Amino acid sequence: MIEQGSSPRRIKLVLLFTAILVLAMVVQLVRVQFGPYAPAFAAIESVIAEQVDKVEPARGLIYDRDGRLLASNVPMYYLEVEVRQLTDSSKKQIAAVLSRVLVLPYEDLYAQLMHKWVDEGQFRIRITREIPGDKRWPILVDQIVADVLKGFLADPEAPDLSGLALVPAPSRTYPAGWLAGHVIGFVNQKGKGYFGIEGYYDDWLVGRSITVERGYIPLEARLKPDPPAGVNLVLTIDIDIQHMVEKILEQAIEDTKSESGQVIVMDPSNGEILAMASWPPLDPNNYEPWLPREERQYEEVEENEEELVINPAVAGQFEPGSTFKILTMAAALDAGVVTPDEEFIDTGMIEVGGNTIRNWDGGAWGPQTMLGCIEHSLNVCLAYVASEKLGTSLFYDYLKDFGVGRLTGIDLAGEVPGQLRTPRHPDWTESDLGTNSFGQGVSVTPIQLLTAVGAVANGGIMVQPHVVRAVVGPEGVYWPKTTILGRPISAETADTLSQMLSVSLEGETHFAQVDEYKMVGKTGTAQIPTEYGYDPRWTVASFVGWGPLADPSFLILVRLDKPEISPWGSVVAAPVFRQIAERLVVMMEIPPDQIREMWTGGGQDG
Amino acid sequence: MLPLIALLIVGGMYLAVNARRAQAGRQVLELQRKQAELERSNADLTATLAELTSPERMLERALSLGYRPAEPGDVEYILVEGYPGPPVFVAPRPPASSNMGEGMLSPAYTETLGEWLLRWLGWGLEAGND
Repeated sequence: MIEQGSSPRRIKLVLLFTAILVLAMVVQLVRVQFGPYAPAFAAIESVIAEQVDKVEPARGLIYDRDGRLLASNVPMYYLEVEVRQLTDSSKKQIAAVLSRVLVLPYEDLYAQLMHKWVDEGQFRIRITREIPGDKRWPILVDQIVADVLKGFLADPEAPDLSGLALVPAPSRTYPAGWLAGHVIGFVNQKGKGYFGIEGYYDDWLVGRSITVERGYIPLEARLKPDPPAGVNLVLTIDIDIQHMVEKILEQAIEDTKSESGQVIVMDPSNGEILAMASWPPLDPNNYEPWLPREERQYEEVEENEEELVINPAVAGQFEPGSTFKILTMAAALDAGVVTPDEEFIDTGMIEVGGNTIRNWDGGAWGPQTMLGCIEHSLNVCLAYVASEKLGTSLFYDYLKDFGVGRLTGIDLAGEVPGQLRTPRHPDWTESDLGTNSFGQGVSVTPIQLLTAVGAVANGGIMVQPHVVRAVVGPEGVYWPKTTILGRPISAETADTLSQMLSVSLEGETHFAQVDEYKMVGKTGTAQIPTEYGYDPRWTVASFVGWGPLADPSFLILVRLDKPEISPWGSVVAAPVFRQIAERLVVMMEIPPDQIREMWTGGGQDG
Repeated sequence: MLPLIALLIVGGMYLAVNARRAQAGRQVLELQRKQAELERSNADLTATLAELTSPERMLERALSLGYRPAEPGDVEYILVEGYPGPPVFVAPRPPASSNMGEGMLSPAYTETLGEWLLRWLGWGLEAGND
């Protein structure tokens, strides 16, 4: 039985309940619309309203020639804080947790959270850490740390971390660390590739992001489309050889007290770069100091701070000195104006264009053959060959054929062409002909010199150096072919000069000899030009050589800048060549000359 | 009354279909989130493996085990006729671009009620994808 009058009371109760519900909804609406978290809700709303997702493809991977991973993508997270969500308690607890987990000073973290960001109009900040030089760097945490922090955020019993957010940042990682750092380059926080492979192939590696529309109200059932992915690259670099070369270079820099240095190892037959090392090394995982000034975000740049040269092997110009004599002699032999046995009387000086040229030791070496001129690295003789035998036109034509003063076209960002003043240049004088003949007054990059000399090692054929061996895209694999840059000299000239350089090397320096293998090479010691003339103290010591003589499998250039223990390439650079060559014959499985001769003669095993 | 009931039935069906669709959408999102997490984990493990097998680490471990780099005199060479040399490494292909969107989903999750009605009435529209 229903009592009279109870229905209106129940109706009133229902109405009251409904009114409270509606009021609560209105309060929540006002809070969302105008409360302290309004910007955060507005951001979510704008994303939903746009109904557009940006799908980024993974950046292409980079491997060495044997499949060792050199550049990969890993999940990393920035630590960001929505400052309006911080409470007194969460500020302390966030600082305490991060301090424990990341082993960072609590005071520094707490000070960042206590800063009056809102007064400065900043509502969301990225937590940073101090790096040497009173500079700051945003903290990036890896997956393991992120999982720990996510666990805290999800657990109501855990410390109060309200306000803290983990923002995924697609991050590039280089598992081999600083190995081949100059070759690989790096990717900044915005995903842009700089220098080396990352810079040169940036467009190919990055793929193409796509935008997709998605309905959120109601939520659409739709699979995520895959955007066009970036290509994977296989390099010509052998990371074991690279490692060996970098260790030897590092030791050489220390032993010779040099300022910097580079080593390049190339296969002269096809231009594949097997190793390219530069000191000081570049760690692509910590690239900020190497960024161009205008690109640096988190470091202050001192006014007189010099920008670091990325990959000096392709961008560091120098006057090559005596290693350049290889090209002068190659030109003279190829033009038929001299023979190896041709005699020259060295009086210790020669005048070319009004400029007196002397030998490196200031002495007169008397009667010499062309072989002797190379063996003793006589400036006077080479100046004579260029000025009296070759003549201006032929000499510079050959240099152009060797690619001096031009880009090699290597597939690395930042290559510079070097400098060669030819007779067409308004500042050229006849004295340049004399000095250029022994590598003075002309600037080359290490890769340019190596490419030119590679023509002698490769039977007169000059090939383009390159670092990418294969490009692997979704459609298939592309193998770049060897590009022939030219044939500056004949095969006969290349053979004759190789024999000369092999013999002369034995007389010039014993530091470059490798037991049981005939090596070919030339030392170089070059003065360093300054705006007041040549530096009286410092030199660039270098060595360029290849081996084995009968079947060149590697071509090596060593350059050491400003060595303190000795200025001479024969003393400081030649031993580096030998150390590398000794390791290369093992790593590349090149049998000694005698065994190879036996095999080619009779096909018997050793 | 009958039209009202019919309208209510159609409305109920529409609501049910959309509720299922939204539920499926949430499942898809959840699976995509899991997929992304697995991909991140996979990338992390790959990078860790690469780091652990980097030349610097391998050299350290080899030296600690008493090995030393071979010198030219340590090596004996044997000519093996017909040996083609080690295989050339070919990197894995990156995933092909795909805009399939709903391609692998049942049309039940993507076709609208109007499309379903037209299909049911046999008025020629193929199921599903918009």
